[in-house]
Amino acid sequence: MEPALLQADQLPTWTALAPVLALAVTGLLLLVIDSIDPNDTRPTLLAGVGTVGALAALGLAGWFLSAGTGQPSTNGAITLYGDALIVDGMTLFFQALFASVTALVVVASYDYLRGRAYQAEFYALMLFAATGMALMAAANSLAVAFVALELASLPSYALVAFLKRDTGSVEAGLKYFLIGALSSAVFAFGISLVYAATGSLLLPDVYEALAGDLTGLTGVAGVGILMVAGGFAFKTASVPFHFWAPEAYEGAPAPVSGFLSSASKAAGFAVAFRVFVTGFPLEAGVDWVLLFQVLAVVTMTLGNFAAATQEEVKRMLAYSSIGHAGYALIGLAAFTGAAGGDVLGASMAHLLVYGFMNTGAFLFVALAEHWGVGRTFDDYAGLASKAPVASVAMSVFMFSLAGLPPFGGFFSKYFLFMGAVDAGFWWLAAVGAVNSALSLFYYSRVVKALWLDDAVSEFELGSTPTALYAAVVFAALATVLLLPGFGPVIETAQSAAAAIVP
Amino acid sequence: MVPPQYYLVLAAAVFCIGVFGLLTRKNALLFLMSVELMLNAANINLVAFSYYWGNVTGQTFGLFTMALAAAEVAVGIGIILVLYRNFKDVDVTEAATMRW
Amino acid sequence: MNAWIAIGALAVMGVGIPLGMMAVSALLRPGVPEQGKSATYESGEIPTGSATGIQFNIQYYMVALLFVVFDVETVLIFPWAVIYQPALASGVGLATVLLPMLIFIGVLVVGLVWAWRQGAVKWVSSPRAARQKTERS
Repeated sequence: MEPALLQADQLPTWTALAPVLALAVTGLLLLVIDSIDPNDTRPTLLAGVGTVGALAALGLAGWFLSAGTGQPSTNGAITLYGDALIVDGMTLFFQALFASVTALVVVASYDYLRGRAYQAEFYALMLFAATGMALMAAANSLAVAFVALELASLPSYALVAFLKRDTGSVEAGLKYFLIGALSSAVFAFGISLVYAATGSLLLPDVYEALAGDLTGLTGVAGVGILMVAGGFAFKTASVPFHFWAPEAYEGAPAPVSGFLSSASKAAGFAVAFRVFVTGFPLEAGVDWVLLFQVLAVVTMTLGNFAAATQEEVKRMLAYSSIGHAGYALIGLAAFTGAAGGDVLGASMAHLLVYGFMNTGAFLFVALAEHWGVGRTFDDYAGLASKAPVASVAMSVFMFSLAGLPPFGGFFSKYFLFMGAVDAGFWWLAAVGAVNSALSLFYYSRVVKALWLDDAVSEFELGSTPTALYAAVVFAALATVLLLPGFGPVIETAQSAAAAIVP
Repeated sequence: MVPPQYYLVLAAAVFCIGVFGLLTRKNALLFLMSVELMLNAANINLVAFSYYWGNVTGQTFGLFTMALAAAEVAVGIGIILVLYRNFKDVDVTEAATMRW
Repeated sequence: MNAWIAIGALAVMGVGIPLGMMAVSALLRPGVPEQGKSATYESGEIPTGSATGIQFNIQYYMVALLFVVFDVETVLIFPWAVIYQPALASGVGLATVLLPMLIFIGVLVVGLVWAWRQGAVKWVSSPRAARQKTERS
């Protein structure tokens, strides 16, 4: 029973990238299958291959995580390809998150896509996007961060506009693409300015150069750091590049909305954490902690207040997802150098819990779309009597998103706010708590509609989509099981985060 | 040798032209061209400072941004085509069935 | 500052010569307005319709898209080509140098085969084009 030893001594180092490779190879395999059989005559095979690939990536990431690959217990972080990629606890933690969300969404899409064209492309695009996200978590260079971000973004644009005869989907895709293209240009320009000031794209070298003497290029580096933050703001759907989020999530096919709002957002945070903590020292350049404090407060307040005024469930979830980006930003906003690992780890754990509960909530919306019950709160009235299991699951997601005690979301928020208080930013925690209280109002509206309200009109739900149902129930189980299992999660996250703090 | 500040000014100018085009144009294709200008501004910086610092990191990354820009345009044109089919126009303000 | 004088002189020449030539020809040439001169030049054909608002067949777009993607992917081969000889000369194994590029090309080939099988490069004649052809003959 020495898997850690076995790995460090016997496997070549490139195998540390196995989770990324599993996702990439699965995506290519789907294209090959589609080349052999262009008419998608076997949707079960396609969904099965996608699920197996995502689960393989999850298994590999989980195995490495427990075996201690790239963590202080073995030989520390593994760097590859001239230090451009890094595999450590944080990389593997996020890769496990992306792989589980991808698996959930692929399973759920099986029913959602039934009878539609271009199924193989859908799964392939989703796995390529997941590959990009897994690479984002492994980026140790601004060049890799940019390329991986694009690899995650480009398939996402196509996925959002997937229903090409549906004006809402196309419009959502267009807006997502326009803002994405703009922010990627801003991001690239920021990287070029950082390179101009430091002469390197590798994060450790950038850190050294920024901490040293910049010979009059401090201003250039400062503007560059601001623009890089802009690029991450787009990916995490935070202010000021958040406009796309409500449109894209509302118009996109519901499984894609779930994928984007949890996995894609977490990927943005993964790369933002790494780049800002290991690349940009606090002493030099701009005081980016202050920047993220402002962004965190504005983002969570805007997201929650906008969510409270919505009439459509999907759009409410979209705005609430902006609010949750604000909570996760606390990880950077309350970062205080050496002791910042705790709050960073709490933010990572929150993203993991959020990955399950938010994906689950969007998958419930997908279920509702499948049944054709409409989009507003009123349309959901009385669903509990028709579909009790799914409604219980949805209630779990809603209460967990609001952060009520008996669910996973409570613990992650608790640790996040405690981390902020410990770091001396009690006001950040206070703003977060007020926002959470507000969020309880609109989340409970869904639960009230499901259980207490009577249906406006009689309606029959069609067949029960097994795969979609299973995905929703599994997400709910994960949300509940993260309650007793939260100890190891927060420990892993916080030690992984502490390991990257220079 | 031309001092590096000049390149920064040139790149900033090209970037600002891109931003200006992006803010004033409604045509989706012109929007794409503006984004290309902004990406090329980044390339000017990368190549100039690659020479200044004496390493090829910047040049190589410049090639990557070019390839990614092309890929972005390929996806973008596809989306604009379906936009045209659904809305009979490439005006980005036409597509507003959802609230902003 | 010498370098700047040369650049300035080049700029003056570059702008001056074409402008000067156009000005001289405008002064010297006789003015004979004629309809054939103002018509759009279409390789000797008599122009039909207007140049704006033409809808091209979507297949041009597919082919152009494939071309752009593969055309631009070649720039990623340049850095590899630059280091190929020096790397071999410095004693790096052939597999280490060649294999990454083969994988890269392999991924592109998977994409191309997929596009091929999806009919992206199949030139089917649309019903409208076939109809026009029969009408014309």
